[in-house]
Amino acid sequence: MNGRLRGQLAGALVLAGILALVAGSLGALASAAGASDGLSGIGPYLVRILAFSTAQAALSTLLSLALGVPLALALARRRFPGRHLALAALGAAAVMPAIVVVFAVVAVYGRGGWLSGLLAQFGIGPAFRVYGWPGILIGHVLLNAPLVARVALDALARVPAEHWRLARLLGFSPLAVLRHLDLPVLRAELAGLASLVFLLCFTSFAIVLTLGGGGRASLEVAIFEALRVDLDFARAAALSVVQIVLCGTVALALHRAVARAPVGHTLRAAIPRPDRDHRGLRLLDGAVLALGALLILPPLLSLAAALPHLSALLDADVARALVTSLAIALASAGLATGMALALAGAARSARLVQRSGRAAALYDLAPALVIAAPPFALTAGLFLLVRRAVDPALAGYALLPLMNALGALPFAYRFLAGPAMAGGERYGRLADLLRLRGLARLRIVDWPLLRRPFAAAFAMAMALSFGDFGVVALLGGSELRTLPYLLYERLGAYRLDEAAALGLLLVLVAFALAYASSRFTDVSH
Amino acid sequence: MPPDSASHPRLVLDEARVVYPDFVGRYSLAVEAGALCAVVGPSGGGKTTLLHLIAGFETAAGGSLTFAGRDLTALAPAERPLAMVFQDHNLFPHLTAFQNVALGVKPSLRPDESERQRVAEALAAVELSGLAERRPGEMSGGQRQRVAIARALVTRKPLLLLDEPFGALDPGLRRGMIRLVDDLRRARGITVLLTIHTPADILDIANTAAFVADGEVVAQGAPAAILDPARDPRIAAFLG
Repeated sequence: MNGRLRGQLAGALVLAGILALVAGSLGALASAAGASDGLSGIGPYLVRILAFSTAQAALSTLLSLALGVPLALALARRRFPGRHLALAALGAAAVMPAIVVVFAVVAVYGRGGWLSGLLAQFGIGPAFRVYGWPGILIGHVLLNAPLVARVALDALARVPAEHWRLARLLGFSPLAVLRHLDLPVLRAELAGLASLVFLLCFTSFAIVLTLGGGGRASLEVAIFEALRVDLDFARAAALSVVQIVLCGTVALALHRAVARAPVGHTLRAAIPRPDRDHRGLRLLDGAVLALGALLILPPLLSLAAALPHLSALLDADVARALVTSLAIALASAGLATGMALALAGAARSARLVQRSGRAAALYDLAPALVIAAPPFALTAGLFLLVRRAVDPALAGYALLPLMNALGALPFAYRFLAGPAMAGGERYGRLADLLRLRGLARLRIVDWPLLRRPFAAAFAMAMALSFGDFGVVALLGGSELRTLPYLLYERLGAYRLDEAAALGLLLVLVAFALAYASSRFTDVSH
Repeated sequence: MPPDSASHPRLVLDEARVVYPDFVGRYSLAVEAGALCAVVGPSGGGKTTLLHLIAGFETAAGGSLTFAGRDLTALAPAERPLAMVFQDHNLFPHLTAFQNVALGVKPSLRPDESERQRVAEALAAVELSGLAERRPGEMSGGQRQRVAIARALVTRKPLLLLDEPFGALDPGLRRGMIRLVDDLRRARGITVLLTIHTPADILDIANTAAFVADGEVVAQGAPAAILDPARDPRIAAFLG
């Protein structure tokens, strides 16, 4: 094989696999559909859900950025006791299972929630009804503002140490620091990040389904209903194509707007920022941190109300579900990080060896394509494909890790692409000269740089998979029961104390994994 | 007392200390006003730490640091009478050469007419008038370093610290850049400290040299005399 392309083999295989998976599963859905009118009978409904999906995703993205970016700046400027815990809380909120977010949002903002209770003490009636727009926006911001803050914080850590020294030497004002040091790195990151958040909100399922109130559905919810309620495979396939085209277009447009090579971390000792002593900024940062804590902490703390009911976890069903969830999370994290490594390596090779920005962009876009493709449609299509060959009860055990891995792929890729690129830029030529290839190159050249981001990506992928309540809603049942599915069942049976205890368990595991991830990515540590 | 103290010292470090968990630097040095002092020594010996201590990026844990009789130890970097050029990352990639230099007079980047004139003069002094609107990505390594020197000049600070700024340039260009710095020093009367890996490039230009190893100034004096292997085994080891 051409040496220039050899480095892209694994990534090309992953890319081809993703494309084949999407095409195959949608094809299977379409061919299983039989006689159906697809989209032709649901024109006005389709327009309505498209308009709603776009509007809620755009607003959720704006609000998430408006809170997440100032939070990142405040956390970059400040060092305080418990900062690591604050970062872990952000990480935990970002990977909080959507079903637990629903539970927590209702507990805090619902009719009988904490906020209503507090307002009632002052004689104020319910401020708003949580179901509908408020619930969706709060849920999405609760999940995505912390994600924005974490990614933006990592980006801010990439400002070269010399620039901070220059800023101190030239006596930069806080405004000059923002303009010349913070904004350039944020600008490079935000368009991609905004597209990621938009796509996540646009394809949101559990939050829209449960907090949306009657009559509001995202495309993802409509696909789920077509598959599970109406058994209309043709409509599901057609809606999936609509979603892939729309989300793919958004991802492509935003990717073009910010087409650039990922930048590696500049590892450095923490250098004091010249703006950290500014009194006005100190007050502003305090206010932003307090606002973030007010939004993020109450839902997390609301789960602590389950502490008296922890004995409900001493149950054989819970133990089985826990083991199942952990096994699936481990498998999907391994798959996600493996695929991300292959894609990142291929993108690097395309940029540095083949010198083809277009080929590199293909690999960069693959994770975005995964978000654009509806997991329900993919799962249903794959299920149709494999059901003749595999016991349907067992198929879930193979499909769930795969689908969860695909869901975690964009996050794992974000962690790994930058360091992989940095490794290539710094040591690629040396490795070529020394004829280091394959596993030897990975072990000697890349692994020392990738070890920490790999661990961070693995922990994050595990956390995402562990709390996933998407695909399991379609495949779950008495044969395959994960913790989020069990929580969903308990909620459905109004066993609320047990559901709360399960929610707490899910969040604690997510918190532990997010904490591990943050320790691996914080360069000041 | 600093070794070989000059008759009219401008920059004086007297047992100025930097303490890390795994490294202790203890520096004594004296440099005359308007001199070019070459700081040479092995990698990891503490040359950059010495410059960071003078610039205020490191806090002195003891001893004293004065310039023209003024105690600098408690001053923030921006309050010290000095400018600095690093080996890399001297320029902000989103700004033009003109804007990068203008940061030295107006970090808000709203220079008035006289300040614009100063920036233009600084660019002319490093022979880059024609490249004022280029961004760092559109310039060679040598041009980028000249922009950084122009920014140091435009601040009109009397002390210039250069931390291996020409290490990545080829020998001819490196010598040319050192000559440029020396010409600017003579024309403007500034004091220059320059760390360098290749002492042969600077021995015939520098007024004085300091050999730094193990976190201390092992010897200071005339450049040709300083690199005598018989003076210290560390100098012998450095020269090979």
